[in-house]
Amino acid sequence: MTKVYCIGCGLVTPVGNTPAEVLAAVRAGKTAFRQYEGWPEPYYASLLDRSGFEGPSFFDHIVLQAAQAAVQEAGIDASSARVGLVLSTIKANIDKIDSEDVSLAAAAETLAKSLGVTTAPVVVSNACISGLAALLQGVRMIRSGEFDHVIVAGAEVQSRFIVTGFQSLKALSLNPCKPFDADREGLNVGEASAAIVLSAHADRPSWEIVDGAVRNDANHISGPSRTGEGSYNALRYVLEGVKADELAFVNVHGTATRYNDQMEAIALNRAGLQDVPVNALKGIFGHTMGAAGILESIVSMQACDAGIVLPTQGFSRMGVEPAVNVSAQERKTDKQAFVKLLSGFGGVNGALLFRKGGAR
Amino acid sequence: MENLINELKLKVIDALNLDGMTPEDIEDNAPLFGDEGLGLDSIDVLELIVLLEKNYGIRLASPAQGKEVFQSVAVMADYVAKNRAK
Amino acid sequence: MKQVSIPSGASLTALYREWVGDYPKFFKMDTLSKLGFLLTEMLVHDEPDRFTFREDRAVLVFSREGCIANDRHYAESMQDFPSPALFVYTLPNIVSGEISIRNKWGGESSAFVLESYDEARIWALVRQAFQDKCTQSALVAWMDCKSDTEWVTNAWLVDKTDML
Repeated sequence: MTKVYCIGCGLVTPVGNTPAEVLAAVRAGKTAFRQYEGWPEPYYASLLDRSGFEGPSFFDHIVLQAAQAAVQEAGIDASSARVGLVLSTIKANIDKIDSEDVSLAAAAETLAKSLGVTTAPVVVSNACISGLAALLQGVRMIRSGEFDHVIVAGAEVQSRFIVTGFQSLKALSLNPCKPFDADREGLNVGEASAAIVLSAHADRPSWEIVDGAVRNDANHISGPSRTGEGSYNALRYVLEGVKADELAFVNVHGTATRYNDQMEAIALNRAGLQDVPVNALKGIFGHTMGAAGILESIVSMQACDAGIVLPTQGFSRMGVEPAVNVSAQERKTDKQAFVKLLSGFGGVNGALLFRKGGAR
Repeated sequence: MENLINELKLKVIDALNLDGMTPEDIEDNAPLFGDEGLGLDSIDVLELIVLLEKNYGIRLASPAQGKEVFQSVAVMADYVAKNRAK
Repeated sequence: MKQVSIPSGASLTALYREWVGDYPKFFKMDTLSKLGFLLTEMLVHDEPDRFTFREDRAVLVFSREGCIANDRHYAESMQDFPSPALFVYTLPNIVSGEISIRNKWGGESSAFVLESYDEARIWALVRQAFQDKCTQSALVAWMDCKSDTEWVTNAWLVDKTDML
């Protein structure tokens, strides 16, 4: 099977705009959270600074910025007929629903045009696992033999639409979120964009996406499975033939809602990963939705390259049963593989296996 | 009280899209959640919280409190009568 | 390979009574989910061992407009009392979730948005989805639902062998 490498990364986050800057911020526990006035209920979030921005769409702006950075690092010609584009987002430009074409298709066309991509883009919109599913889609496009490189870009901007929706579900916390903690009380929303260029070729040691899976709980559209069914099945698929002690860590979804974190603990234990270090990044970025799978994968690659397992900001006391190996402290690792895990509405769960590979 | 119970039944049927149900199909004291009774789920609880705020100006703090109030239409009516702001 | 569709503007309640009748959660769904639910029933109603958990069937839904019809309903509700029951359907992949729940299909479920209806592109993406070694068949649907009364649908049940 064709190997697929990550050869370029780009990021736009409230705590930094390069992978190195962002890694340093996460290690230092730097966040951009604060309380914002809502409609009318206030909310607590990690949002990007829009001062000085004057274009027609902030969403289009940040997703392009991340994608351009990734393309530049990869050094590819985006206009080649063998370069594909996958966009990951949940609501894109939804804040303009009364006035414009807010379809995800329109957002993808705008991005393709701005990047100079000449092949038709595809949007993967699988709720909170979109970024992970989009990376898997990129891997599959390369393995189909039709593409040499695929740009996978994801972003989310926050809006009245998303915030009031999560408020109506009583899912938001007015305090910093606490993944896996006994006192966790809900999630914080976040803004970011992130992009990875995938390629069938790498001219230096690079991170490889070995494989991935998306599985449904077949249980409920908004409540996670009590048995972690889909998450466990996705893990089982990507870990076939992989020993738990080969993994540096599992970077989980960890939204800090009661049900999500408990569900992930069950899935991790069922998969025999109870001793593998686990971490969640929502305490730094909040829930960045369409960007999350790509952003959290980039930060995880950076951390693994630096020989560390990042701490879980917000965690202090074990709040899931059975327990998982989560810590508020940074830990060392010499391992060169990790799993990225996500879950979302619609009963979807996804897992990707990353491994540092040789040049090819 | 009987009028309020009937009014609530109509509003619950409408808010939760309970197809083909009439107020007569819902017993005053039958449980609304769980396998017996109407078998409503977590999203329904949240939608009933909206129903109380919209129609009676009552704001519940949490879904957990909702489960107390929404034990049955009779319990709901009692709570609305005591706490309504409109 | 079986194919079905539902004419734009057809009564979905009438189709539900004709094909199903005993799944009251249907009435809580948005129009897009109702369409996906019914198209699936029409394709698999006579399959043996229905409702036995299986992981080897993927649900792959495609559209241009995603869940825009329901997005508009939620956007209206958020002006005064945001509705949680509407908000949960503001994702293009809730329909694939509803299909998975009804049928106990625990395999892949994914929602894709394309610029326009293009069968060649749909089949290219479906073929790529079969790279998952677990997937042996797929429920594939193009459902473009502009409003509660206007839509274009086409749904297929395909085996891996159809794709080779």
